[in-house]
Amino acid sequence: MFGLALRSLRLRTGSFAAAFLAIFLGATMVMSFASMLDTGMAQGVPAVSAEILTIMASVVGGWGSLLVVFAVASTLTLSVRQRAAEMALLRCVGATPAQVGWMIVGEAAILAAAGALLAIAPAMLAGRVLLRTLIDTGQVAPGVIYAFGPVALGMGLGITFASALAAAALAARRTARMRATESLVAASTDRAKLGRIRIVAALLCLAGGVNLGVLTMTVMHGRGYEAMATAGYASILFAVGLALLGPALIRRVAAILAGPLERFAGISGYLAAQSIRQRTRQMAAALMPIILFTGAATGVLYMQSIENAATAAAGLEKDEFEKAIETLNLVVMGMVALFLCIMLINTLVAATTYRSREFGQQRLAGATPGQVLGMVGLEGVVVAATGVLFGTIAALVTVLPYSFSRTDALVPDATIAVYLSTIAVAFAVTLAASVGTARRTLRRPAVEVVADS
Amino acid sequence: MDNTTSGKAAEALRLASVHKIYGSGDRRVTALDGVSFSLPPGTFTAVMGPSGSGKSTLLHCAAGLDQPTEGTVYVDGTEMTGGSETARTKFRRQRIGFIFQQFNLLPTLTVLQNVTLPLKLAGRRVDRQHVVDMLDRVGLDRRHDHLPAELSGGQQQRVAIARALATNPKVIFADEPTGALDSRSARDVLALLQEAVHLFSQTVVMVTHDPVAASYADSVLFLADGRIVGRLVSPTAEAVAERMTRLGDEAAERRSNDEAAEQRLTEGV
Repeated sequence: MFGLALRSLRLRTGSFAAAFLAIFLGATMVMSFASMLDTGMAQGVPAVSAEILTIMASVVGGWGSLLVVFAVASTLTLSVRQRAAEMALLRCVGATPAQVGWMIVGEAAILAAAGALLAIAPAMLAGRVLLRTLIDTGQVAPGVIYAFGPVALGMGLGITFASALAAAALAARRTARMRATESLVAASTDRAKLGRIRIVAALLCLAGGVNLGVLTMTVMHGRGYEAMATAGYASILFAVGLALLGPALIRRVAAILAGPLERFAGISGYLAAQSIRQRTRQMAAALMPIILFTGAATGVLYMQSIENAATAAAGLEKDEFEKAIETLNLVVMGMVALFLCIMLINTLVAATTYRSREFGQQRLAGATPGQVLGMVGLEGVVVAATGVLFGTIAALVTVLPYSFSRTDALVPDATIAVYLSTIAVAFAVTLAASVGTARRTLRRPAVEVVADS
Repeated sequence: MDNTTSGKAAEALRLASVHKIYGSGDRRVTALDGVSFSLPPGTFTAVMGPSGSGKSTLLHCAAGLDQPTEGTVYVDGTEMTGGSETARTKFRRQRIGFIFQQFNLLPTLTVLQNVTLPLKLAGRRVDRQHVVDMLDRVGLDRRHDHLPAELSGGQQQRVAIARALATNPKVIFADEPTGALDSRSARDVLALLQEAVHLFSQTVVMVTHDPVAASYADSVLFLADGRIVGRLVSPTAEAVAERMTRLGDEAAERRSNDEAAEQRLTEGV
C-alpha cells in the first residue's frame, strides 16, 4: 500500500498540491518563529532580549500552530474526499478498508516529510529576517546571533507531522467505514454531516473563546496591555470553533439564501442555489480560512488600535515592551493573514478545478461561459459573506471585551476603515481565486473536458 | 451569428462538404474528408463506422460542439457559423438536444431540475406540465426528486432523453446512448428514441457501433476514413453487421494500398 501511495502521489500531483503547500508554508511559519526560542536560549543573550524572543516564539507557537493544524487538516481532508471515487474503485477491486486507510496515511506521511524538510531552508531565512526586524526596531540587543536548533526542528516537524497524520487517520476512518457500493454513490453526492468529535471540539473552542473574553473584562480589567494575553486568543479560539462548525453554518445560510438566489438572481443564481445546497462540504472548506482570516485580522488589528488609543488618551509614551508587542501583533497578523489567504486560494483553486467536469456538463446542457462564471461568482459571494459574517462575530469576542477592559466602553472608538479593508480582501481573494480558476477550465471545449475527467 | 435562413427548411440537418483536420504538418490527421448529407425532419439516422472512422468528430461538428475546418453545417435551414463560445452555445441550445454515453446529468440537480435546466439556461418559460409529461413518457413519473446518483444507468439515460426532448429541439444527437447500458435498458432507450421520431416527428442522429442499436434507426450512414461510404435504408441488425465487417476489411485494404502508393511515390516511380 505504501507503493500505491507513492504512485498515487506521483500521478496525481495536482490534487496534493494544496495539502503540500499548506504543510510547507505551515512548517515554514512554525519553524521560523520557533527558532526565536533557539536564538534566545543561547549563552550571553541579555535577559530582556531573551524574554522578548520567548514571547514572540510562544505567542506564534500557539496561534500559528493552531492555524497550521487546521489548514493541513482541511486541505488533506479535501484531497482525500476529492478522490472518493478512486477510493471507492479501490474498494471495489478488493482493497480492504485497512489497505485504503494505510494508503491515505502513507500519502500524508510522505507529504508531511517532504513539506517539512523543504521548509527548513526558507524557515531559516524567514527567522533571520524576523530577528533582524526585532534588532532594527530596538527590541532585541544588536549582538544577538541567530540560531536554528532543536526547538525549531522539533516543533516544525512535530506539528506538521502530527496534524497531517491525525487528519489522514480521521479521513481514512471515514472512508473505511463506508461500504464499497455506498462509497461510489457517496462520491457523486456530497452532503456534509458533522461528526461527534468535531461538534465537541467546536463547542470547546467556542466556550474557550467566550471564557477568555469574560476573563478579559473581569480579571484583566484595568491591567493595561496585559489583557492582550487573554483577549488576543479569544477571537482565534472562537473563530476556530465556528470554522469547525462550517458545514452546519453553510447549510443554515444556504437554507436562507438559496430561495432568494433562485428567484431573483437569474439562471446563475438558480444554479448557485442548487450548488450551495448540495456542496456544503466544499463550501465549508473555503469558509474556514475566511472565518479565521476575518476573525483573527479584525480582532488583533482592533485590539492594537484600542491599545494605541488608550495609551495616547492617557498621555503616555509606549515603553519597550509595548512597542515589542505592537510589532509582534502586526508581524504575526501579517504572516497569519498571508498564510490564511494562501490557504483560501489553495482550497478554492482545488475545489473549483475539481468541478471542471460539472462546468462542462452545464455547458453541454446549454450554459454559456458567462452563465457558468456567474454561478461561480455568486457562490463565491455567498461563501465570502458567510465567512465575513461569522468571522466578525468571532472578532467581537476580542474587540468588545478588550475595549471594555482598557476604556470601560464596550464599543471602541476606532476607524471602520480597517474592518472594511479586511472584508474587501476576503471578498477579492475569494472571487479572484474561484472565478479565475473557473475561467481557465472554460477555455477547453466542453466535450473534451467532460470526456477525460 | 450569421443566419442564412432558406425559408422553412425541408431538412433538419445538412452538412455541406465538411472537413475536419487536426494538427498540422507531419502530424496532420484528416478526421472528416468532405462529408455531405442531408436529413429530413422526423427521421432516425444511425451513423456507423469502424473505430477511427470519424464518427465522433462528425457528431461533434454537426452538433456545434466542435468547428469544422472547412464546410458548412445547417440546422433547420440555419447556417451554423463560428464565433464566440457564447454565440455557439446559444445556437446549440435553441436547436439541438444531446444524449451522451455517460449521461452527463448534473449531479447536484434532481431529475426534474435536470430536465428543466436547458429551458432555464435559455431563459425560456418552463411549462411544468410539458416537463412532467416528458418524464411520464420516459417512465420516471415517480422519480422527480431523485438525484442522478440514486438512479440506475438506464434511468439516468431516460432522464437525459427527457431533458433532450424538453426543449423541442430541431435535431437530437445521441453519442453511443446505449454504450454504458445493459441490453434491456438499451432496448428501452432505443424504443424511446424511436417513439420520439415516429410519434412526435423528432429528428434523431445517433452514433453507435452496435448493429442492434443501429437497426432501430430508419437508415444507417456508414463512415470510413472520414468519408460517407454507404447508406442502408430500413436496416436489420444482420445487414448492418455484415456491412460493417466488409467496411473494416475494405478500410484495411485501402490503407495498405495507400501505403504502397506512397512507397512508389517516394521511390520516384
